[in-house]
Amino acid sequence: MASSDELFQLKELLTPAAIRLHVAASDPAQVIREAGQLLLTQGAIEERYIEAMQQALQTYGPYMVIVPGVALLHARPSDGVKRPCMSLLTLEPPVSFGNEDNDPVKIAIAFGAVDRQKHLQALTMLTQLLANEQALSAIQASTSAEEVMHIIAAASPAA
Amino acid sequence: MKILAVCGMGFGSSLVLRMTIEDVLKAAGFKAQVVVSDIGTARSEQADIIVTSAEFARLLADRGIPIVVIKNYVDRKEMKEKLLPLLKGS
Repeated sequence: MASSDELFQLKELLTPAAIRLHVAASDPAQVIREAGQLLLTQGAIEERYIEAMQQALQTYGPYMVIVPGVALLHARPSDGVKRPCMSLLTLEPPVSFGNEDNDPVKIAIAFGAVDRQKHLQALTMLTQLLANEQALSAIQASTSAEEVMHIIAAASPAA
Repeated sequence: MKILAVCGMGFGSSLVLRMTIEDVLKAAGFKAQVVVSDIGTARSEQADIIVTSAEFARLLADRGIPIVVIKNYVDRKEMKEKLLPLLKGS
């Protein structure tokens, strides 16, 4: 377990328990609820963080679909984040968020940050993963959380 | 040279954007300060170039600062094609 002043690696933030595959969600709000619930179950956020993520999508729009097929969902540290955390859903069928360029969303990643530093290393590794189209396709096709973890480990070697 | 990477809250997308910008700058041999900002702060933060998505670009258009509009936040090719011409012209 990393201490509070350490940087977290991706595999420390994203655990098999925070991964759900082939989730059927009818709209972005349900995607946020499902992804947020995984963070809540781990005790990493307060329940209000899920509502804050919904508000963020309402306020700032669908820019959160930052890569074709992938949404990065989050709110602010002050919205009830207890510790850095991340969850991942694959969506079946894909869900449109209203992003002209990058819809529909096939993979949704939610995270909670406590500042701009502690999750940075994990985010760096996530950036490598998001730039790897083959790895993203493999995650969509995955049938177990362990398989997803394996793909992520291979695509984003620890710095 | 100061480049501002802007997203809604300044904790996720703009950090990803900064990594892509820094990768492209390094590969091209350019030196610049890359700072992340939420959309509120970006309204007043000094910068030479702003990099963000189309929705935030519209909110910052009146600042009179060149804006690079990015679709895919991790695509180095897109970043290179859109950002480097502005640096070469400066």
